[in-house]
Amino acid sequence: MKRWFLLTAVLAAAALAAMPSAADAQAKDTLVVALPSHAPTLDPHMHFERVGILVNINMFDSLLHRNTKLEFEPSLALSWKPLSDTQWEFKLRKGVKFHNGETMTAEDVKYSFDRVLDQSKKSPQYGNIRAIKEVRIVNPDTVHIITDKPFPLLLERLVFFPIVPKKHVEAVGDQAFGTTSPVGTGPWKFVEWKRDQLIRLQAFDQHWRGKPPFKNLVFRAVPEIATQVAEIKTGGVDIIRNVPADIMPELKTHPQAYISSTPILRVHYVEFDMRSAPFDKKLVRQAANYAIDKQTIIQKLMAGLGKQVATTVQPLAFGFDPELKPYPYDPKKAKELLAQAGYPNGVDITLHSGDLAIRPQFEAICQMLTEVGIRTTPKMWDPGPAWNKFFQGEGKATNGYYGTWGNYSVFDADAVLHPLFHTEQGGWVGKWYTRVEGLDKLIDEGRSSVDGPKRKRTYSQIQQMIREEAPSIYLFTQYDTLGISKKVQYAARPDEWLWLYDAKPAAK
Amino acid sequence: MLTLLVRRVIRLVVVLAVVSLVTFAILHVSGDPVSLMMPEAPESDRAALRLAMGFNEPLPAQFVRFLANTARGDFGNSFFHRAPALPLVLERMPTTLLLTVLALGLSLAIALPVGILSAVRRNSLFDHGATFVVFLGTSMPVFWTGIMLIILFAVQLRLLPVSGWESWQALVLPTATLATFSTPLLLRIVRSSMLEVINLDYVRTARAKGVSERIVIWHHALINAALPLVTVAGLQFGILLGGAIVTETVFAVPGLGRLIVSAIRQLDFPIVQAGVFVLALIVVLVNFAVDLLYIYLNPQIRVR
Repeated sequence: MKRWFLLTAVLAAAALAAMPSAADAQAKDTLVVALPSHAPTLDPHMHFERVGILVNINMFDSLLHRNTKLEFEPSLALSWKPLSDTQWEFKLRKGVKFHNGETMTAEDVKYSFDRVLDQSKKSPQYGNIRAIKEVRIVNPDTVHIITDKPFPLLLERLVFFPIVPKKHVEAVGDQAFGTTSPVGTGPWKFVEWKRDQLIRLQAFDQHWRGKPPFKNLVFRAVPEIATQVAEIKTGGVDIIRNVPADIMPELKTHPQAYISSTPILRVHYVEFDMRSAPFDKKLVRQAANYAIDKQTIIQKLMAGLGKQVATTVQPLAFGFDPELKPYPYDPKKAKELLAQAGYPNGVDITLHSGDLAIRPQFEAICQMLTEVGIRTTPKMWDPGPAWNKFFQGEGKATNGYYGTWGNYSVFDADAVLHPLFHTEQGGWVGKWYTRVEGLDKLIDEGRSSVDGPKRKRTYSQIQQMIREEAPSIYLFTQYDTLGISKKVQYAARPDEWLWLYDAKPAAK
Repeated sequence: MLTLLVRRVIRLVVVLAVVSLVTFAILHVSGDPVSLMMPEAPESDRAALRLAMGFNEPLPAQFVRFLANTARGDFGNSFFHRAPALPLVLERMPTTLLLTVLALGLSLAIALPVGILSAVRRNSLFDHGATFVVFLGTSMPVFWTGIMLIILFAVQLRLLPVSGWESWQALVLPTATLATFSTPLLLRIVRSSMLEVINLDYVRTARAKGVSERIVIWHHALINAALPLVTVAGLQFGILLGGAIVTETVFAVPGLGRLIVSAIRQLDFPIVQAGVFVLALIVVLVNFAVDLLYIYLNPQIRVR
């Protein structure tokens, strides 16, 4: 039996010898961020994953940058202006260096767009910029972007559209570019990537903004939030995202950490299936909106971090109409409306949700609906294949679902109105759930103009219409909450970006 | 011996084929990866992708193609990673294997002495204490054990890192967590099989001859008691590979389990199929090795 011991001992010894001898000393010049996972590639054009974008933005620059006030700022483009409804001119910053020492030019800009527009490459970002017909090099510092029709979201899309070095990508190939040799113009350059473990970056001395405050930047993949919280308490990690409301108090009072939160572009809503009873009736949909005590949910379940909304168009999005007020909580009125709609004794419905993070809210909403007579059976799904199948089916088995929408991080009313409510076949869920007379036409009108004031008027009209017609229960916006080590000075951003060039070692 | 080997190899192939079939069937009724890959794309684009990936062929035809490719070691390209699935799986395998082997080793290192002592001092305070701890160990979910160990050893006592895989210290907690999962059963087996042999004639004879108690226990008794232990340890290995999935998530270990879990979420069929196949292969091989060890330990079988 000693053999077993021997075998175990030998294996263990071999294993230990194969490991580096000690953990990386957590130095002052290193910033460690925990993400739940890594994107499949470091190539900024070949995925569309939040966790990947957060890494990419610190390695690559785009033409435009967005500051914490959500205004566009020059980045690789110094200035931009529309030449017509379908043509924009961008003047590029001169002398910008890639991490490999090459200078960025209009060639690289054109190449970056062509790469995503090339359908054979199957970039998941193709849909974001498919409206771009051509990128034309005017001279080494000027490009024209030509769209096939007016494309009001162009500037929004350019905030995350990283510019990659043509020569380098062509030399190493797409595969290597995404795994072992990504090169950009951003504040940090690539050092190593151990999949699902860590991505290590190092400050780029020749970055055009100047050197970033932290010399090393590490993105660890830590899937479990409880583990992330333990890491930040022990100093293993400096920044964690999406701190749940129930953990906030313990981090707020912790000697090593603090909380930073800000409203973000994410709205909670219940979308109704308007094709069938009872939500084919406007009065029932309005009753449901009156039935929800939004403020109580925000206070009790979300640590006070949330803001009631009048529609799914959020305060942060272009086109938001501040004149419209959220539905007040009025259970009496809800019962009256329900009776008027022909349901004096109430009605039975089923709602679905596949988002475990908002389960408490889901249960509260179902309970509140039940209290006014819309007796709701909540059906909570495990996020995964079955839910996806159900959700992407026709939604027939449901009266509606509870979910949240993040606008694809686009600060524009269109990014929520089209996917949720437009009924065209290529659309998202609107085609199954929403039936509001005349709404499609207005949404189309809003997205086919680049005239700001005109679009604003259209979106006001839409918001009045959907508040009245109530294809959804409009709930509240969400906050992003970061847990941050006291050694680091940083603040959550409304676009949920981790723009770590702004992070500084805390003054002692 | 040769017939045994041939029989085992045939069984191995059959098991792997069945595992592949089951995985294939479960995955293909579970949803449409194309809608997940292109959530915003128009239906025409999706149809084109389905065609390109062969998803609109009848399922049996897809399975035959899948089997043929599998036999060549080709599991296809991961939808999510856009790279061949098998290398991605194999890249994670050593991590998971190491974790599993360490946990099994730790389990045995605890189960053997404690189990033997429990058997030798049957019904003593030590024996009852061990039984109590065994029940405690079996009752705790791996996930919870992991978090508790983190809170105690990493957050409160600051002895070990919370998570990761960068240093040998980081291996301690996941190994311990996984070991709490397998130790109880092994300990029970050691205790009961020791109890069975400890009063047999040959043990009594050895004692009567004046052989020291130490040698009686560790040599005479344990060798015979070890047979069921080897079998169970082999089976435990497979179960531990499963437990490693949870442990890897809690401790942010970059292993195969995490890869498979996220692949299931993403309906990334090739990764799931390759991952399950490799795990099944390992379990079958380990059990095969156990059988060989069994023959080695038990001359009766060899003679027969």
